Amino acid sequence: MTRASISVVFAGSGGAGAMTAGAILLNAAARCGYYGVMTQLFGAQVRGGESAALIQLSIDPVDAQPDTYDVFVALDWEKIEQFAPEIPLNEKSIVFAAKDGGKAAPSVVKSRARISEMEMTDPGMTLLERALRGKRVNIFAAGLIGALVGLNEGSLWEALNETLGHKKPDVVAGNKKALAAGIHMAKQQQENFRLASTRQDKRWLITGNQAIALGTLRGGVRFVGCYPITPATDLVEWLAPVLQKLGGKLVLGEDELASINMVLGASFGGVPAMTVTSGPGLSLMVETIGLAVAAEVPVVLINVMRGGPSTGIPSKTEQSDVNLAVYGGHGDAPRIVIAPMSVADCIFTGEWAVYIAEAYQTPVIVLSDQLLGQAQQVIDLGAERPKPAQRRTDGGDPKLFKRYALGADPISPMTLPGTPDFAWVGDGLTHNEMGVPVSSASAHAAQMQKRARKITQFNPGKFWGEVWGEGETAIVTFGSSIAPAREAAKRLAAEGHSVRVIGLRVISPLPAEALKEALKGVRRIFVLEQNLGAQLYHYLLGAKGVPLDAESIARTGPLPFRPAEIAAHLI
Amino acid sequence: MSAVTAPRNPTLRKAHEFRSEAQPIWCPGCGDYGVLNCLTQAFAILELQPHDIAMISGIGCSSRLPAYTKCYGFHGVHGRALPFATGLKLARPDLEVVVVGGDGDGYSIGGNHFMHACRRDLDMLYLVMDNRVYGMTKGQPSPTTEGDWDSQIAPGGTQLRTFNPLAVALAAGANFVARGYAGDPIGLTDLIVEGMRWRGFALLEVLSPCVTFRPEEIHWKERAHRRTKTVAKDRATAIADTLTEDELSLGVFFRGEEVLSGAEVRPNISLSEIESQFAI
Repeated sequence: MTRASISVVFAGSGGAGAMTAGAILLNAAARCGYYGVMTQLFGAQVRGGESAALIQLSIDPVDAQPDTYDVFVALDWEKIEQFAPEIPLNEKSIVFAAKDGGKAAPSVVKSRARISEMEMTDPGMTLLERALRGKRVNIFAAGLIGALVGLNEGSLWEALNETLGHKKPDVVAGNKKALAAGIHMAKQQQENFRLASTRQDKRWLITGNQAIALGTLRGGVRFVGCYPITPATDLVEWLAPVLQKLGGKLVLGEDELASINMVLGASFGGVPAMTVTSGPGLSLMVETIGLAVAAEVPVVLINVMRGGPSTGIPSKTEQSDVNLAVYGGHGDAPRIVIAPMSVADCIFTGEWAVYIAEAYQTPVIVLSDQLLGQAQQVIDLGAERPKPAQRRTDGGDPKLFKRYALGADPISPMTLPGTPDFAWVGDGLTHNEMGVPVSSASAHAAQMQKRARKITQFNPGKFWGEVWGEGETAIVTFGSSIAPAREAAKRLAAEGHSVRVIGLRVISPLPAEALKEALKGVRRIFVLEQNLGAQLYHYLLGAKGVPLDAESIARTGPLPFRPAEIAAHLI
Repeated sequence: MSAVTAPRNPTLRKAHEFRSEAQPIWCPGCGDYGVLNCLTQAFAILELQPHDIAMISGIGCSSRLPAYTKCYGFHGVHGRALPFATGLKLARPDLEVVVVGGDGDGYSIGGNHFMHACRRDLDMLYLVMDNRVYGMTKGQPSPTTEGDWDSQIAPGGTQLRTFNPLAVALAAGANFVARGYAGDPIGLTDLIVEGMRWRGFALLEVLSPCVTFRPEEIHWKERAHRRTKTVAKDRATAIADTLTEDELSLGVFFRGEEVLSGAEVRPNISLSEIESQFAI
């Protein structure tokens, strides 16, 4: 008897190596042709807090979190109670725990999951080795679960090598023994989690943050100005060495104010540029977003959302920056806001963001979130790519050149510094067509309308979003909430309730016509989002994107939506 | 990195050819007129073309200056001229980047960027027109205003110590630090030329009187003087000089090490090679 999918959690105190165990399992499964996704759950502490790797493996593409987990591995019990409520288990779940890992967490016991204790280490280890090197419970656990799931041993060895092969020889040797011990232990277990066999297509294993970074590189970004902020830092850490090799530059600003202004400066110089941040950083950047709108400077802002307001929950997810992204700043400052619909779509959205920013000479804010950004996922290749678009830099006749010309086309030429006879001064002050500051009512209105027209002229075509399924009930949502919504719809469909899921890739300007088309024949609409204020819902109501009787499913983060939770709202 | 590959126009420019037709908003008698003249003189002396230069500024009376030139320029938000210039210079090392602004813009709201621009030591001139007052908002005390200067917003004065930009710049790692005076056109033009030729970050603090809100600054004319002391060779002595000499002594205080121009970064890997790391 085999199964189509399995969900596994490795959990322990920080430093126990839960993420490493998860990475090895996911990597090995990917090598065997399975789809999979790993999300990360961290406490606030840098070292010694709690951490868990949440993994789903499947013969089909998978990106939603399950309702409950099948397997829970407690590397130790020390900190697990701190977040056990965030990892739902039930009586069908099985828990593997190290024999000497302490007392089982009360909420795990309460879930009535079956707990199986065992010696989780290489039995050949000497006392001294255990004391000096630790027992490598995590590597043991990766071997144990990998073998129980039915992954071939070769792929486990390859995954271990890819994940930890760069360590010192004695560490590598110890890890190998621990993995072998785990695989061996699996043979003595009664449990059977074997996954059905699958095809081995060419796929990628990538995180959402890496995928966005890659997309922006494809789009031509060669300058990044940023300030470290959780959960966006790993994006930049992946990008920094890569950008160097590509001949680009990444600068660590002294703060977010500096970072966004550096990005504007680089872009003014003609190099596609972006910043990467999270809510608190985006809050600091809004004044300069207004400047970029007024002076019409292309700039890409990647915002990996986390729990807010203020410092909020830095390491955990929320979709609560919709208002900030769409409206943030003073004055009328229209900009374009887009959101990736999945880890795989992060590549597309990142690349597209650069083309839009450059072509429309505007800030483009990309709303990702911690759940998407730090999820590592097996993705299929061959997705469509956006059509490249560039900045208009040809000034035409120098005698007639006007940087902010008012014409039929609201996009005016932006000549590059260094080009003779086409000098201009960019300005955040209200300016005339030449860019010279003026305070006349007519110039103000004309330039404001020019900028507004630029944004309304933006036509995303078929890339506005996507519709899955049909039915008279619809869920309208975005970002990381799309996956659980689709999973919920799938289950409801199996029960005879058809539900369509509408994912918005373009949030602002609202693709109203496309949304209207997508909602044809729908009688009941739910707007789903992970923030208390129902920001997307109110935005859609205000823009008449959904009718007044649309309903809202909105709650705070950081717990991801579970398919069952969404389904319960719908019926 | 892209760069404009325009043939350099061999025609030498005169100072007035760097001036645009825009009329300055400055009050009659403002020191900033003198600074603008000296800048265009310096551009001519340096045999530059207007399109070679990018004039970057923040907000304030003096930050209006870029629009009065025929150079490329950017008049951004308050206090952020230096980071903008940093991004621009990194992206386009071929451009002559000149940052201009005032004491409030540079030392108050932009104070953090000021320190870090000194540390970064990118090749640019930062010219601060210091009039020791917020002029555009009509007369509030700035970081360089004397603590006992009475104003509507700070009756009896702020009672704060004045900010010493030269000492701070030196402590933060700046390698070229000088003070000029808008009323000394020959000396100021020389300092601008030297600052622009300097390879690295050059701070040029310029006493630029605000005749409207600080009429007493007219008397800088009699009191400002060229410094006579030899330019210090070590940073500690230079800092001591900036702290002990009076605030109207003009000239170069420090010439440290110049930045060697780094080799242009060239791509040595293709994007598809980078992408291959994700293949499983």
